[in-house]
Amino acid sequence: MARRGRLVIKPDRCTGCRTCELACAFVHSTGGLLGLSRIRIREAGAGPEGDRHLQMTCLQCIEAACVKVCPVDALVRNEDTGAIEVSERCIGCGLCAVVCPFGHMHFDRMLGRPIKCDLCGGAPTCAAFCPHGALEVR
Amino acid sequence: MERRFKINDIDVKARAGEHLLDVARRYGFEIPSLCHHEALPPIGACRICLVEVAWGGRRELCTSCNFEVIEGMQVTTDTPAVQHHRAMNLELLLARAPGSARLRELAAQYGVRRTRFGPPATSPLPNCILCELCVRACEQLGNHALTMVGRGDKKRIGLAFNSPSEQCTGCASCASVCPTECIPVKDTAAGRTIWGQTHPLVLCKVCGAPVMTERQRAKAIAKKGLPEEYYDFCESCKQSTASKRFASIVW
Ligand code: SF4
Ligand code: SF4
Ligand code: FES
Repeated sequence: MARRGRLVIKPDRCTGCRTCELACAFVHSTGGLLGLSRIRIREAGAGPEGDRHLQMTCLQCIEAACVKVCPVDALVRNEDTGAIEVSERCIGCGLCAVVCPFGHMHFDRMLGRPIKCDLCGGAPTCAAFCPHGALEVR
Repeated sequence: MERRFKINDIDVKARAGEHLLDVARRYGFEIPSLCHHEALPPIGACRICLVEVAWGGRRELCTSCNFEVIEGMQVTTDTPAVQHHRAMNLELLLARAPGSARLRELAAQYGVRRTRFGPPATSPLPNCILCELCVRACEQLGNHALTMVGRGDKKRIGLAFNSPSEQCTGCASCASVCPTECIPVKDTAAGRTIWGQTHPLVLCKVCGAPVMTERQRAKAIAKKGLPEEYYDFCESCKQSTASKRFASIVW
C-alpha cells in the first residue's frame, strides 16, 4: 500500500518558535501539556544568521529498538502511515523508552504509558501548524 | 476457520477461538470491562463485561472477555438483565475499591453511587478487586513474582511465600495495568520501592537521572540481545546527544 507521505524536517528553516510542540501537545492531550508533546525543539548552537534549532521526533525506524524490546508486541507499525504506534497491548514496563537510541520516546510515569509520535494517522499536526515551512509532509 | 454470528442483530465475522469482547470491540460495540487487557489471557474476574448470549435454544449471561465465539449465536450487549447484573457487580466491587475513581465513574453510569456492602474484613492492598491483571502481566513478562494467596474472604494478591521476591524486577508493569491503581510504587533517590523491597536503580551515565532498575536492565540485556549501552542513558541525555550528532550532519 502506498504510504500517505513522510514528515520531512528542515532544521535550517526552524526558528525555535515551538508552535509544533504546542500543536502536538494539544492534539494528543487535554489541556495541551507541553511535556506530552511528541516533537521537541533542541537548541543547536549559534549560526551565521542567529541561533540554530533542531526538531527532534520519532524517526519511525525500520529496525526499531523499541519494537524489538517490547515484551508484548505492543508497538505496531501502521502500514498505511509508516508510523510505529503504541497499541492497547502495552503493559507499561517502560523498556521501549529506555532503549530508543535517540531519546525520542518518553515514558510517562503518571500515565504508565510511552509517548511517541504516531504521525497523527497520516496528517501530522505539527507540520500543519509550522509557520516557517520547517516541517513538511511529502 | 471463520465464525459468523450476530451482535445486536448485526452480522459479524470472527476467527474460531477468538473472544467475544475482542470481536465486539473491533466492530465498535461498547462493552465495559475492568479486568480485560489485550495482551493478557482473559480470566473473567470482574464480571462487568457481561452480555446475553443465545445459541442452541439456550440463553445465558456470559462474561464476553473469555467467551469463545460460537457459530450462529445471537449476542445482545445491553438487555435489562445485563444492565441489572452489571450494576450489581459494580456495587459489589465498589465495596472493595471505594477509592478507585475509574470504578466510581463506571458505577455511576449504571446508577450506582453507593454500596450496601461493607469493605472486606482484611485488606492488605486497599482498593484491590482481585482481578489478577497484575499477576497475569508479571507472568507474561516471565517474572512470576505475584500470585493469588489464601482462600475465601482471605484471598489476596501477594508474593509467593510472602517474602520479598527475587523474581520481581521492580518494573512496575503490575501497577501500570491495575484498573484501580492500587499497587503502591515509590521512586526515591535510594531506588524504586514496590512489593516490600527497594530496587537499586541504573543511573544515566551523563546526568545521573534514574533510567530503570538494575534487575530490569540485567534481565532485558539477557533476553533482548540489544547492545548494553542502549540501557545506559536517560531519555533527555540521549536526545541531546542525538541532536548534536544531527546538527553536525545538517550544518
Ligand atoms: S512500555 Fe508498553 S510499548 Fe513500551 S515496551 Fe513496555 S509494554 Fe511495550
Ligand atoms: S514490578 Fe515486580 S511484581 Fe510487578 S510486574 Fe514487574 S516484576 Fe512483576
Ligand atoms: S472484563 Fe470480562 S470479566 Fe472482567
